Amino acid sequence: MSEFLIHLATLAGIYALMSLGLSVQAGMSGLLNFGHIAFAGIGAYAAAIAAQAGWPAAAGIAAGMAGAALLGLAMARLGRQLGADYWGIATLALAEIVRLAATNEGWLTGGAQGISPVDSALAGLPGVWDSAGFLLCSAAGVAAGLCLARRIGGGRLGRALRLMREEPQLAACLGYDLTALKTRAMVLGACMTACGGALLAYYTRFVGPDYLTAAETFLIWTMVVLGGLGSHAGAVLGALLVQAIHAAVPFLRDALGAGSDVAGALRLGLVGLLLLACLLWRPQGLLPEKPGRVR
Amino acid sequence: MLQFVLDTLLRTADLALVALGLSMVYGLARFPNVAHVQYALVGAYAAYAVQAMGGNLAAGVLLSCLATGALAVLLGMAVFDRLLRAGPAYAMIGSLAVSMLLIALVLGLAGSAPRSYPLAIAAPMALGRARIAPLQLAAIAASAAIVGLYALMLFRSRLGRALRAIASNRALASACGLNVAACTAATHFLSGMLAAFGGAMLAMNTGAHVNLGNDLLLPVFAAAVLGGLGNPLGAVFGALLIAATETAFTSVNVGWLWGEPVGFLPVGYIGAASFAILLLALVLRPHGLFDREVRRV
Amino acid sequence: MKILLSMEGVAKSFGGNHVLQGVDAAVREGEIVGLLGPNGSGKSTLLNLATGFARLDRGAIRMDGARIDALPTHRIIERGIARTFQLPSMPTRMSVLEVAMSASLSHHGFWATLLRPPAARAAEADARRRAGALLDELLLARVRDLPASALSGGQKKLLGIACALMRRPRLLMLDEPTAGVHPGLRGEIAAVLRRLRDEGMTLVVVEHDMAFVREVCTRCVVLDRGRVAADCRPDELAGHPRVLEAYLGQSAAAPHREAA
Repeated sequence: MSEFLIHLATLAGIYALMSLGLSVQAGMSGLLNFGHIAFAGIGAYAAAIAAQAGWPAAAGIAAGMAGAALLGLAMARLGRQLGADYWGIATLALAEIVRLAATNEGWLTGGAQGISPVDSALAGLPGVWDSAGFLLCSAAGVAAGLCLARRIGGGRLGRALRLMREEPQLAACLGYDLTALKTRAMVLGACMTACGGALLAYYTRFVGPDYLTAAETFLIWTMVVLGGLGSHAGAVLGALLVQAIHAAVPFLRDALGAGSDVAGALRLGLVGLLLLACLLWRPQGLLPEKPGRVR
Repeated sequence: MLQFVLDTLLRTADLALVALGLSMVYGLARFPNVAHVQYALVGAYAAYAVQAMGGNLAAGVLLSCLATGALAVLLGMAVFDRLLRAGPAYAMIGSLAVSMLLIALVLGLAGSAPRSYPLAIAAPMALGRARIAPLQLAAIAASAAIVGLYALMLFRSRLGRALRAIASNRALASACGLNVAACTAATHFLSGMLAAFGGAMLAMNTGAHVNLGNDLLLPVFAAAVLGGLGNPLGAVFGALLIAATETAFTSVNVGWLWGEPVGFLPVGYIGAASFAILLLALVLRPHGLFDREVRRV
Repeated sequence: MKILLSMEGVAKSFGGNHVLQGVDAAVREGEIVGLLGPNGSGKSTLLNLATGFARLDRGAIRMDGARIDALPTHRIIERGIARTFQLPSMPTRMSVLEVAMSASLSHHGFWATLLRPPAARAAEADARRRAGALLDELLLARVRDLPASALSGGQKKLLGIACALMRRPRLLMLDEPTAGVHPGLRGEIAAVLRRLRDEGMTLVVVEHDMAFVREVCTRCVVLDRGRVAADCRPDELAGHPRVLEAYLGQSAAAPHREAA
């Protein structure tokens, strides 16, 4: 049981890190990024390819962050005049192109089968040390991500991003270069998410194109919205909640005596239901964002 | 050449009706409804269900359209109209939730194995050197007929005039006495029906499968955006463009590019072709090729 | 006196609506120019063109002699222009103080915000102090911790002015600062502008309120149907035939024209 809980906590932490990345982009900066999973995917694939080439984990993570940052930069610069929802569709399209590339460029990415196993120093440790190690990494990642997001959010850059989120015209009038702000938010979120993706690859010892589907992006959106758009702690809480539901589903399925299709349906349905309920009755989320108190 | 045209038309038929419905709803509700493609999913499965219970294809499609239309109205009124009050971003996220729920419903009830329609396998007809199955030809004809009927409705009927007025300026239309609520319901119903019809036709060829909606998401959005969101007939043209690109992508012999007698672009990237067009369109002409997109005031 | 902002043959149409049809005007340092005209004469459009919110069809807008009309808004603002909006919209999830602080001149980026070196911390403290002082001056001290969108229309206008003043602009353009504001607050705004005038700031004020204009402005530019109808001192407005024609129509202006 404790092994299961450790596994749950580790996964929750990894997804929390990815949610924090989206929280910085969508929650704090108002960027409706519907291609978010591409950052995690790039992080994961970079880690896997690096591991296969014999690089240490740190190098793999760094490569993942660099790749994701480049994509984030491209997304930020995409169509200066684009309205928020059009831009969201464009990011969805970009992420799909990344997934198609991952599926087709087998020489690099292992194609539809993906890359496996993804070895790392941690995974090589005996017995309980490897799960404990990953749990520690995951928790450290979340802690670092949360601190980073909070520090940025409470400072000058955070104020600028939040202003851009709600009143871009006013922000422009106060001399802010909106594209530069968007770029900062996208790159920061991309790097954080890529870390999560790399960690996922090292932890599950696998990466495949299924890590890059739009459904995964929607899952992370659910985590952020459940927790409260604009609240970084909320994003972490949302991730924990969604992971808990995912973990509870197999037990539910056994109780109902149903098959794996029903399990899949339950996983998706419960999360969708929770998201819808949240939007209808508590749109500000579980931990609503409050206007900042300037210290 | 004829085969190219037929393949393009077939793919257009797959996309056009769903894209038309999407664009129609955007003109009214001003948010990209990601759940719309899942109406095609629901329609495909509903038609299958009717056929599994003994009905024929026509009955299946008809009942499925009516049921999906009703579902769309219900969701539109109970969910999307409410969420729109908080803003289009929330409505879009809400549509994500609805998508998840619809897929979960289908997955839970019908399972993950694809369901083929119980249709007689007919030999493909020959048109010159091109081949096409009679049912596929019927699908193209039916789609074209529906687009024609829709255009007639939009430009020649009172409902159509009302819909265009509301899409252009909702407050003013309401002040002029148009029953905005009824028109909104009618729009949702029509878009649901169109999506269901499109989904059923798609399922005729590929069977009803859980990813039917997801696979449609980007091509349909690409078509609608190309035509200008809110310009339904533009969406049909967008669908044609996307279909032509996809067909060209895989059937045009580009061997000469690298000095071979025969060479084709990798089929796996077929989606990327339309997405690349979408991106180009969004960057160069964000309001659609015809610049008739309904702007949010 | 040096010309700060000049507009040469500025024309702008929206579809078939020719809002501006060739406007020539200049703003000199230290002036308070009132921009007047009936509704639809293009006053707000001129402001939008000068601050990069719209692109002109013909003509040029120069600041210190250099063309600014093709620049993006933030580059124009960098040169020392600040503006307010006719209907200011303020964020719901930021406090009044935060909004004012975000207007400060120092824009430090990611690393400065993350690491908070002494220079950045000093700039933050300075911004906080200045914002606080400006909010006090503009009677917003009581509401500084409220969400900015919770303010009344008049208070939002004052916040807009506070943000503009945080920028220490050389040229401040105000779009109808007293429209929809209750009379008491109107007096406050007039007092603030008079103080700015005394301190030597250059202002362009789009206004309808003639009394306000006479109190504050040193010069008036009247627009009518897309062109400059008059460019004179406030006291010369009353009898000016073209001004009367602009506001009241040709027949009302006729007797005055004969007298002039």
